[in-house]
Amino acid sequence: MTIVRNRWLEIATVAIIGVSLFRSMTVVADVTQGDVQRIMYVHVPSAWLAFLAFMVTMVGSAAWLRTKDQRWDRLAASSAEIGVVFTGLAIVAGMIWAKPVWGQFWTWEPRLVTTALLFFIYLGYLALRRAVIDPVQRARRAAIMGIVAAVQIPIVYYSVNWWRSLHQPSSARSIDTPLRITLLLGVVAFTFAYAVLLRRRLELARLEEELDAKRFEQSQSVAGADITVPSLASHPHD
Amino acid sequence: MTFWRQVYEVARKDLLVESRTAEVALMTAPFGAAALILIPLAIGTDAPLLSQLGPGLYWIVVLLFGMLVILRKSAVDGQAQRDLVRLLGIEPAAAFAGATVATSALVLFFEVALGPILIALYNPELRGWPWLFVILPLVATGMGLLGTIASGVTTSIGTRTSLTPLLIVPLSLPLLMGATQALEGLRLGRGIVPWLILLFAVDLALAVSGVLAARPLEEAVT
Repeated sequence: MTIVRNRWLEIATVAIIGVSLFRSMTVVADVTQGDVQRIMYVHVPSAWLAFLAFMVTMVGSAAWLRTKDQRWDRLAASSAEIGVVFTGLAIVAGMIWAKPVWGQFWTWEPRLVTTALLFFIYLGYLALRRAVIDPVQRARRAAIMGIVAAVQIPIVYYSVNWWRSLHQPSSARSIDTPLRITLLLGVVAFTFAYAVLLRRRLELARLEEELDAKRFEQSQSVAGADITVPSLASHPHD
Repeated sequence: MTFWRQVYEVARKDLLVESRTAEVALMTAPFGAAALILIPLAIGTDAPLLSQLGPGLYWIVVLLFGMLVILRKSAVDGQAQRDLVRLLGIEPAAAFAGATVATSALVLFFEVALGPILIALYNPELRGWPWLFVILPLVATGMGLLGTIASGVTTSIGTRTSLTPLLIVPLSLPLLMGATQALEGLRLGRGIVPWLILLFAVDLALAVSGVLAARPLEEAVT
């Protein structure tokens, strides 16, 4: 019972992902596209999750600048990492879906291009974090980029409306009810997965910070010993 | 000293440094011009095709080679300069605004310098050209803002020269889209107001972000 209490989120996530997977495989296929349309149940929730993750990064960044509490920085960084993974998944799933439907993996289509650039923006954000060693400086610089990078999110979202092209605009309301329910189930399942991953990543980030702090303490004591231990009496040239 | 006077003095200082070295005029602009000459050799010298592709290629060159203009600014701003500006009591927001004004002016100069070369080599359709007086400054301002913010967050980082373009280029997408689509709209005789609004909105969002982030940025490089 203790395991169930401690792991209720993980257990619920596995259950809902299982139901979502089963439903996406068994729900009636799209009349026009056939079974290939089922990839929508991975593609759309991945894209939704990427937006959610990057919005959380923006909120965490703004909160860090306001409070200087490292927990907000960990939230922003962890969410950005998950967002990058799911943006990549959305792009790959979209490309697999595009091949049979559009005839090619990639087209120079606004939603694809803006999403790919969103991926690179947050890769840059993560690269910036790796480039700065001091935790406070890293948090400060990353927080600014975390807010500026969020400018891109509405552009990606509205790109299908602004530049009408191959990619269809949001159609969640217009598709048949069984398909819509399956899609929403997928979104809920992915959101649960995000919560689990975020919780684990936050814990990992906290442990990483503790480890860094311990390493720093140890390196300080070694340097101190080097400076204080040698004496003139033991010098080889004396 | 008033806020605007501080902005003026910071911008003047940056432009004075540029006027002494003339890096943008004598090095970056010829480098961009050389790129515009080389591109047709790679994609073919078909005149109608080049006429159609010219404006898009121009914006790509402005965006990518504009990085050199932006990086130049962060390279000349050493720790001693930053310390001096701080000791003089310059407001962080004024320092940010001044640096942005100077960088935007240099990017605008770069854009204008490449314009005649584009016209001479690619012979693009110039329908609605007076709109360029609006489009060019809007793009230059956006790049200046983005460059000043990105240069601020990457100051004194060892990998700055690689990291800054990685941060700026994907974020400049709305500027590139706004500029290219506006020119395309002019060519086809369509309305370009939505694209100008996009450019203005992005500039405004970046300006607000930059001014709000000016103090944390200053603390970050201390």
